[in-house]
Amino acid sequence: MRYYVIIGIISLFSLISCKKNNPNPETKIDYLEIDMLPFYGSNGNDLLELDSVYNTPEGYRVKFTDIKCYFTFLSNGSTLLSQAAYFDFREKGNQLLRVEGDYSKFSSIQGIIGVDSSLNHDDPSAFPNDSPLNISNAGQMHWGWNTGYIFFNIEGKADTITDGVDNLNHSFSFHIGTDNYDQPFNFSNLTWVDLGNNTHRLQWKLNMFSFLHTINPVDLKTEFLTHTGAGQQTLTEKITSNFGQSISPF
Amino acid sequence: MKNIIFCCLISLLIFSCKKDKTTFLPTPYTLQIPSHFPDMIIPSDNPMTVEGVELGRFLFYEKRLSGDNSMNCASCHLPTASFSDPNQFSTGIDGIQGTRHSMAIINLGWEDLFFWDGRKSSLEDQILEPVSNPIEMHQSWKKTVEKLNADNEYRNLFFKAFGEEGIDSIKATKAIAQFIRTLISGESKFDVMYKYENNMSLTATEQSTLQSIDVEEWAGYDLFKSLNGADCFHCHNGPLMRVKKFSNNGLIPNEINDKGRAIVTNNPEDNYKFKVPTLRNIALTAPYMHDGRFSTLDQVIEHYSSGIHMSPTIDPLIEFGSQGGVQLDAQEKYLLKKFLLTLTDQKFLNNPNFQDPN
Repeated sequence: MRYYVIIGIISLFSLISCKKNNPNPETKIDYLEIDMLPFYGSNGNDLLELDSVYNTPEGYRVKFTDIKCYFTFLSNGSTLLSQAAYFDFREKGNQLLRVEGDYSKFSSIQGIIGVDSSLNHDDPSAFPNDSPLNISNAGQMHWGWNTGYIFFNIEGKADTITDGVDNLNHSFSFHIGTDNYDQPFNFSNLTWVDLGNNTHRLQWKLNMFSFLHTINPVDLKTEFLTHTGAGQQTLTEKITSNFGQSISPF
Repeated sequence: MKNIIFCCLISLLIFSCKKDKTTFLPTPYTLQIPSHFPDMIIPSDNPMTVEGVELGRFLFYEKRLSGDNSMNCASCHLPTASFSDPNQFSTGIDGIQGTRHSMAIINLGWEDLFFWDGRKSSLEDQILEPVSNPIEMHQSWKKTVEKLNADNEYRNLFFKAFGEEGIDSIKATKAIAQFIRTLISGESKFDVMYKYENNMSLTATEQSTLQSIDVEEWAGYDLFKSLNGADCFHCHNGPLMRVKKFSNNGLIPNEINDKGRAIVTNNPEDNYKFKVPTLRNIALTAPYMHDGRFSTLDQVIEHYSSGIHMSPTIDPLIEFGSQGGVQLDAQEKYLLKKFLLTLTDQKFLNNPNFQDPN
C-alpha cells in the first residue's frame, strides 16, 4: 500500500512539475487598412500601372514611374488613427496604412495631405523605427530639416511631340513640400469592408487622369517640373490643388 | 517488481526537469550610433555580441577563406580605401576579374539591398557569395569550414561568439556581418556641417571642426543641395548620404552592356539602373560608378555637368539631362569638389577596431 501511495505522489509530481504556464487568453487585435488605388482613364475605371504608357487627351503619350505621398494626423475628431502614413506605389503597392484600431471609431477621417508643420522639421532620425517619417523609411522623400519632407512626389515620362515616333524621353517631376503646401482633407460616411481575420479596410481613389487633365489641366510639354522652388509657385499651386482634389473615398 | 517501478519513477522525477547543458553566453555589443543617424535595425537571428564582432573581424581578414589562402575580404575592400578597391575591377584567386567595382563597405547596417544590382536582401546573404564565387575567393563553404575547424583558435572563437560548439557557413557569415555593422562612418566634417545646419548640439571637438570649415566648403555644400546648382541631393542626402533606390544616372552603357538592376528583376524599366551608393569617404573610394569608369572626382563632376547620356530609363531626377547635365562652370566644379572632400572621415579610416587583428 505504501508503495502505491508513494508511486501516486511521484506520478502526480512528475506530471505537474514541468507544466508550462497557461498562456494568456488570446487577445483579439483588430487591424485597419487603408489602400490607395491610382486610376487613369477618362472613364475613371482603369487602374493605373506604373511604367504603362497611356494616351492623353492632348495626344501625348505618358507613363508614371513613381507616385509617393504622405498623410499625417489621420484622425476622427480627437481620436487619432495614425500620426503618419506613407504611400509608395512602386515599393509598397496599394497599401497606405495598416494599424491596430477599431473601425467603428472612424466613420470619418480627417488629416493632412503632406506632413504637418509640427512634424515637418523634426529630426528625421529620431522618429520611431517603424514610423514612415523615420529617415530610414522616408529615403528620398526627405529634403532636409529646413525644408522638411516632400509631401508628394509624382514622376514620369512623356512623349509630347505628336509625330508618331514613340519617344518617351521627356521627364516630368512634381515634388511638392514646404509648410505652405500641406492641405487638409476630410472624408466622411466611410464604409469599412470586413476582410475577415479581424481586419477592416478602406479604399481611396487617386485619380491621376483628373490630376493631369480635368481639374486644372497640366500641359506636360511646358509644365513638367517643380520642386516647390521660389520661381515655381504657379505650377506648385496647381499641382498641389490637383493632387488634393484627385483623392477621394472609393 | 514494485521496486523496479519505484526506481523508474524516481529516475523520471530526477531527469524530467533536467536543465539544458550550460553554454557560454556571449556579451551583448553596444553599437556606437552617431547622434544624427537613425537606429540600425539588427536582425533578430543575429544579435550583436562582443565575441561575434571579434570573430567577424578575424574572419574578414582571414585568407583561409580563399581557395589558395591568398585572399581575404580586405583584399577587395581595403581599409585604406574606405573598404573599397582602388582597382577598377577586383581580381580573384584565379586571376579572373569581375565586371563591377567593389563597393565601399560603409554604414552597411542601414542597407536593405546589397551589390550594385541589389540581388541580395540581407548582409548575411551578401557575405555568403564571395567565398564560393569562382571569380573571387573560389572556395566552397564546406572546404572553408573544414579549414576553420582545423584551427583550435577558431573553434574557441566560434564557441564564444555563438555560445555553442560547431562551425558552419551561417555562423561565419553572421560573425562577419556583425563586424561589418560596426563599420560606421559618421565623424567627417560633413557631419558637423549637417548637425550645425540642423541645430543639433555639437561637442567641443565638433565645435573646433566647425571653425575649420571654410567658406568654399560651405559654398560647395550649397551647390550640392541646390536645384539649380549641382542638384546632387536628390540621390545623396541625409546623414547616410544616399537614398535607397536604383537609378540610371545617365552613363553610356559599358562594353558588356551591363543592365544592372534589370538583371535581377527582369524588368526592362530597370535597365541600366544601379544602386545609389553613399558618398561618404568618396575621395578615397575611386574609381567611381558601378564599373569604375571614372578614376577621379573631377571626371565624376564632369559627367553630371555635361556628360549625361539620355536613355528611356534615365532617372527623371536627372533634370538637366536633355542639355547634357547641370552645366557647372569651373568655379562651381571646384567648390563642389571642396565639399565632397569634407565627407572624408579620418576617424573611421584610422579606427584600430577595424584593422587586421593579426
